[in-house]
Amino acid sequence: MIPVTLRVTLIIAVFFYFIFILHYLKNKMLELKYTLIWLAAGFVMVLLIAFPELLVTFVAVFGIESNMNGLYILVFAFIITTLMTLTSIVSRQNLKIRILIQELSILEKRIRELESAEQGEN
Amino acid sequence: MLKTLIIIPAFNEEGSIEKVVNNLTAKFPNYDYLVVNDGSSDHTQSICHRNQYHVVNLVINMGIGGAVQTGYRYARDNHYDIAVQIDGDGQHDVSYLEEMISLIEKGQADIVIGSRFLEKEGFQSTQIRRMGINFLSFLGKVLTGVRVRDITSGYRVVNAKFIHIFANDYPADYPEPEAMVIAAVHGGRIKEYPVIMQKRNAGESSITMKRSIYYMCKVTLAMIIRRISFGVRR
Repeated sequence: MIPVTLRVTLIIAVFFYFIFILHYLKNKMLELKYTLIWLAAGFVMVLLIAFPELLVTFVAVFGIESNMNGLYILVFAFIITTLMTLTSIVSRQNLKIRILIQELSILEKRIRELESAEQGEN
Repeated sequence: MLKTLIIIPAFNEEGSIEKVVNNLTAKFPNYDYLVVNDGSSDHTQSICHRNQYHVVNLVINMGIGGAVQTGYRYARDNHYDIAVQIDGDGQHDVSYLEEMISLIEKGQADIVIGSRFLEKEGFQSTQIRRMGINFLSFLGKVLTGVRVRDITSGYRVVNAKFIHIFANDYPADYPEPEAMVIAAVHGGRIKEYPVIMQKRNAGESSITMKRSIYYMCKVTLAMIIRRISFGVRR
């Protein structure tokens, strides 16, 4: 089992982790939508610190050799998921930017033509 | 007469754009055209302005797919019945245009592709590229049942239905084969028309040898995924 001192340290670390996220949210440097996954991760961390048996059960259920390996797998899976989410966000934004550029450029043509027509009238 | 727009994507084509547009307006004064200047870093934009061409200047370079789609969006917004896409490098001989367009006007096809492999005349590309094109053509046939021999040809005429489809959804980079899959799964009647293509007289091909492996992998995957995603939707 995890020694009490370590648990206290970890809890403090997670506390700062949440403060960090809140700070970003407060200053509008993160959008809540994209922060949910980080908040969820923090929640899982708190759970694991409070009930370390959960990890042991998880490891046993999936037949993983040691607790540490189980933890690594969890972390790794989380990171991969996060990266995929990020790629998907980037792709969606890419699509939006593409439409923006096209519409903006078509508008620019219209304005240019309207302006030159106006100049022609004067 | 049906309202026709000729879309000319141009990326750094200062050496050929004047020739292409002047040739076009001289031969087909009753067709509208639109140069889509894809954020060129050379003098393409100033040449177009000096000659008072109809030009959309993309504020950021988007690649051929984004440029062509801009043309389709413009065609859709301005209610064109037929859209033509030709390259801005002078590779495509516009003297076939009338016959290609008439195939659409008569309702014999939804999409007409200018194909250099039907009569095997003129510039035929290198052997290794032809192999690549044959493979993509075969893949298109397997995926959709429609055989397009010159599947990478950027010389195309489409009707209003596909102006709308392409305005909403057009692949980003290396778009031609993927666009054919889109057309086929939407039930488009695709016809090829034999044309003779010139070797490019200025500018660079968008596909260099170094990129060709990446090109083949990306296009193959893109075509398959296109096909799958439509299969799921049905």
